[in-house]
This record gives sequence, structure tokens and C-alpha cells, in this order.
Amino acid sequence: MSSVILRNVNKSYGNLPIVKNLNLEVKDGEFVVLVGPSGCGKSTTLRMVAGLEDITQGDIQIGDRAINDLPPHKRNIAMVFQNYALYPHMSVRENIVFGLKKSGADAQTIKRKLADVSEMLKLDDYLDRKPADLSGGQRQRVAMGRALARDADVYLFDEPLSNLDAKLRHHMRTEIARIQHQYNMTAIYVTHDQIEAMTLGDRVVVMRDGVVEQVGTPMEIYLQPTNTFVATFIGSPAMNLFEAKIEGEDLVFDKYRIPASKIANVDMHNLASHETVLVGIRPDFFEDSALSLKRSPSDNLFEFNDIEVDLVENLGFDKEIMFKLGGEDAKARLDLRSHVQRQENISLSVDLNRVLLFDTSPQGMLINAGEV
Amino acid sequence: MASSILIKNEARLGLKMVAPAIGIIGLLVIYPILFNIYLSFFDVQLNGTKTFVGLDNYSDLLGNPRYYHSIGVSVIYLLGTVIGTTVLGLAAAVLMNQEFHFRNIARGLILLPYFAPVISVVFGWQFIFDPVNGIYNHVVVDVLHLTDTRENLIGNPDSALFVVILFDIWKHFPIAYLLLLAKLQSVPKDLYEAAAIDGQNAWGRFWHVTLPELKFVIATVVLLRIIWNLNRFEDVYLLAPNVETLPIFTYYQAFAGIVDQGGAAAISVIQLLVLVGLIWLYVRKVLKW
Repeated sequence: MSSVILRNVNKSYGNLPIVKNLNLEVKDGEFVVLVGPSGCGKSTTLRMVAGLEDITQGDIQIGDRAINDLPPHKRNIAMVFQNYALYPHMSVRENIVFGLKKSGADAQTIKRKLADVSEMLKLDDYLDRKPADLSGGQRQRVAMGRALARDADVYLFDEPLSNLDAKLRHHMRTEIARIQHQYNMTAIYVTHDQIEAMTLGDRVVVMRDGVVEQVGTPMEIYLQPTNTFVATFIGSPAMNLFEAKIEGEDLVFDKYRIPASKIANVDMHNLASHETVLVGIRPDFFEDSALSLKRSPSDNLFEFNDIEVDLVENLGFDKEIMFKLGGEDAKARLDLRSHVQRQENISLSVDLNRVLLFDTSPQGMLINAGEV
Repeated sequence: MASSILIKNEARLGLKMVAPAIGIIGLLVIYPILFNIYLSFFDVQLNGTKTFVGLDNYSDLLGNPRYYHSIGVSVIYLLGTVIGTTVLGLAAAVLMNQEFHFRNIARGLILLPYFAPVISVVFGWQFIFDPVNGIYNHVVVDVLHLTDTRENLIGNPDSALFVVILFDIWKHFPIAYLLLLAKLQSVPKDLYEAAAIDGQNAWGRFWHVTLPELKFVIATVVLLRIIWNLNRFEDVYLLAPNVETLPIFTYYQAFAGIVDQGGAAAISVIQLLVLVGLIWLYVRKVLKW
């Protein structure tokens, strides 16, 4: 295992920049997830680490080796491809040991690794089959096995679960997390699926348009997104953002006045320099006031009264409601015990410790940054 | 019950649909083959009179040293041309699958020898190897001074065989190239990437990805080349009529000197059997299709 360091890495095709000045250090044994919308440069970044794309500018280092000019076959990496890229003329067994053999492992090691991997990924029954005779999920496991069998410095995953159905994806996600902990491998994992990013990553790198927007643990990203892009990209349904005027010590929007001083980590002096701010509230942090869940005097709650519910979606364990707040569409996710009905007037309460404030610049930077 | 009637009707309709094709094939392919087999048991005169001779044509043939000689020539010709066109076609296809400027023009130009009419390029080749004025002798003798004597490569049947092989490789590698390139373009890129990640250099990727992916197309090329070249006549006859491959021998037997159409028919019957046997062996045993 090894660390991976990317220093001022740039990639462009002709005049079109794809990755702009990227800096990232993946520690030894760390699982880092690159996440972002399509075209954000996350796959390109991964492919640069793999050596499948050349680096326009900057340095990449694996362990203490500079690898900029090393071709992929000399980098000692393993990779799982989105479309699996299994060798069609080889059996599952041959696919798994192919790279291992090339790396010069002895017969004993090859046998042991094959047994390990095929047991772990439940491939025992398919070892003699060709990829064409496998289902999508089985192929995915073979691709995974081929990478895991290798004794690589770094393991790279390029959206490995995106071709699976939802149930299988969930299952494999859990498997990957388990394997990663077991082997303590250094891994870079690319996905556009924020749930994969949140559940798998020791750290998550959120990218947009070739730029790293934020690097942090999943909880940092979730609770303290540095800007409105990260705030709305991570979390489903997306975070609600309301524009509020600052009047004295209060944030005013629609008919509500929120006392700014009660919101966590707010520097009142700094706040006074803004005329308006964006108030960010995750749908998950709304509660149906009628339920009075988890109330205690120390709670720092704010009540949004008189909310007319436009729509209720029952999801089983919880329900999502849609309503208007300050003229904007908003969403809340409520406990299943809530009895809200469509077109009913209700009040929603929010823990002010969980409310985020962003400035109204195009970047929408977080104002009340603090401890998570 | 209803479905079995449906199936019967379908079968009847199907038979009607393919009947014209079967008729044409029967008339143009099956009938000549059968008639050829029939002829091989007769002594055929040019005026059309036929005398039944039993297996005489076959026994005469099997006692004829020229026949065995032409078989030997054909084997060398086949080996040289099939291997030569496949290898050269593969090399050209791999090359033309790389990105470079003017690739499309180059891809088109490679096909030229295949498009060019045999009769015109044959004269060109004869001129190249002409002992007095040809560029070959000029380069070898006057420029490079490799030997002192000007050779008549086409005039000598032994060396002419190699000229004929070279000519066929040059003329027919584009078809191998075309088929192989078409398949090469459909090989998924990520297979090469996976192989690179698995530690394979360019040669390893060619060996472990390209070749297995091309296997069946290469096999098809080889099969086609065997069938075509076992029967190849005009290229050989026009360039060097002294190279006696089986078809040329058959032609001499049938139409030149002492005309012996019955004997020629016997040769082609044997050749047909050999060809069918070869293809069967190749397809079932070598390729395991």
C-alpha cells in the first residue's frame, strides 16, 4: 500500500481545461471518493493516476515514486472499470489471476489469492465460465476480484456500480466497504452517486467543472458544506435555500424572523456586512411540530408556523412533503408518525444548530463555518 | 394443434420462398459439379463423343509425375500466400488503427492493389522483373552490386513461384487488412486499458487482447484465402504461366496440347474433395466452430 499525492495537477484537451490545479493527498490505507456531476473531471483525474491519460501539468506521486512519465503497466495499480473490461476469451479464473501472474507471483500465492478472492466475492461456482455467460452482477464481482487479487499500491474504482440495479448496487456497496476495511487498502473511488460517496469514503472530494469544491469526511461535507454547490449536490432531497434579508439581529424572509444569534457559529459582526444571505436547511432537519419529538428545554428550535402542505409522498419509513417557503418550493422529510395531509396547515420546527448561512455571491460561500 | 398447422404452413411457405434460390444454385453450381464428376469417368473428344473409361482417368492421373509436381507447387503457393497475406494484412490493420494525420487517405490507398485489374498490374510486375530493362535487376546488379548476373526471375519456374507468391500477397493482403481492421475498430478500448493496468506492455496487449479478439476474423481470412488460392488461376497464369499450380496443370490438361477433358475433370473432382476435406478439418478440428 502507498499514499497518492496529486500536486497542482492540470489536464486539458487542446484549449479546453478538464481538471484545474488539483491538489489532493490520499493517505496510506485511506479510501477517498471523488464525486461530482458528469463532466466534472473526476474520471479524468482517476485515469491520470492510472496513467491512461497524460498529465498536462503538475505531478502525481505514488508512495515516493513520481509516476508522471511511467506507463500504466509500470505503476503497480489495480483498477475496476465501469464496464468491467473483462477479457472475453478468458475464464473467470484466468481473468482474476491474469495480472497476478504478470506481476511474477509464484504458483502458491496465485492459488491462495484466487481462493481468497473467489470466496470473498462468492465466485467459486463460476471460475470456469466465460464472462459472456455471467450476469451483470457476477461480471462486476469478477472485475472486482481481478483488482483485489493484485498486490497493488493503489486500487482505483471508476464508477464500478453504475451498471447494476439498485438492490445489487446496495449489496456491492456494503461488500466494498467491508473489503476495504479488511484489507486496509489505499483506494480512489469515482462516482456520481452521493450515497456511495457518503457511505464508502473516509474522505470525500466534491468536484465541479474540474475544480475541487471541498475535501472532507462525509459528515463534514454533509453538515458543513463550504458552498451552495456542495450543499445542494450532497444530500437527497437537496438542501432548501431561502434568500433572507438581514434586519438588525434577525434574518427575515416571508413572514418569519429568525434570530441570527441563535444559529450556530454565526459571527454577528461579520453577518452585519451582508445585506442578504441564503439560509440553508436540509429537508431532514425539519420536524413536524405536532409530534414534539426529542424536545428538551435546551433545544434550540425555530418554528415555521402556518405552512400549507402542497404534496405528501409516503416513502414508508418517512414521508417527504412539499410546501412553499418565502415563495420558493421547499421540501421536508418527516417521521412516519406525522399525520400531515395535503393542503393542511402545519408548523415545522428546525434545530437552529443545523441551519447554514451562505453569502449571495455566485459561489455562495458558507458564512457560519465551525465545528461539526 | 393449431400451432402445428401454423408451423406446417410456415414450412411450406418457407420452401416456396427459397425455391428460386435453390433452383439457381442447382443450375449453376450443383449441376456443373455433378456433370464434372460424370465426365471424369469418360474419355471426352472435342467433337463431343464420350467413351466410358471407368477409373482410367484417375489411375492415369495418379501415375503422372507432373500431377504430383503441381501439388507440391500448389502447397508452397498456398502456404506462402495465405501466411503472407494474413500477416501483412494484420500488420497493416494494426498500423492503420493508430491515430495519425491523413489516416483516412492512407486507409484508402492500401486498398489500391486489390482494386487494380489483374491484367494491368501483371504487366507492371513483369516489367519490374524484366532481365534487361526491369528495375529489380537494375537495383540488385547496377546499384547495390549484390550479384554480377542479371536474373530472369519470372522466366525460371523455380524463382517464378516466389514472384507469383509475392504478387499474390501484394494484391490480396488488402482484403485481409480490410476484414481485420473492421474487427479491430470494434475491440473495446477498456480491454487494452485493463491489460495495461494488469502490467502488460504494448506487445503483451497485442498478444493477450488484440489476437484473441481477432481470432475468428483471422480464421475467416485464412479460410477464404485457402479456398480462393487453391483455385486461383488468372493471377498465376498471366504473370508466370510456367508456374504449374493445380489449376494451371488442370488447364493445360484440359485445353492445351493433347486435350484431355476427362482427365481434367478427374483433377477437379479430386481437388474438390481435397478442398472440402481441408475446410472440414480446419473448421471442425482447428477452429472448433
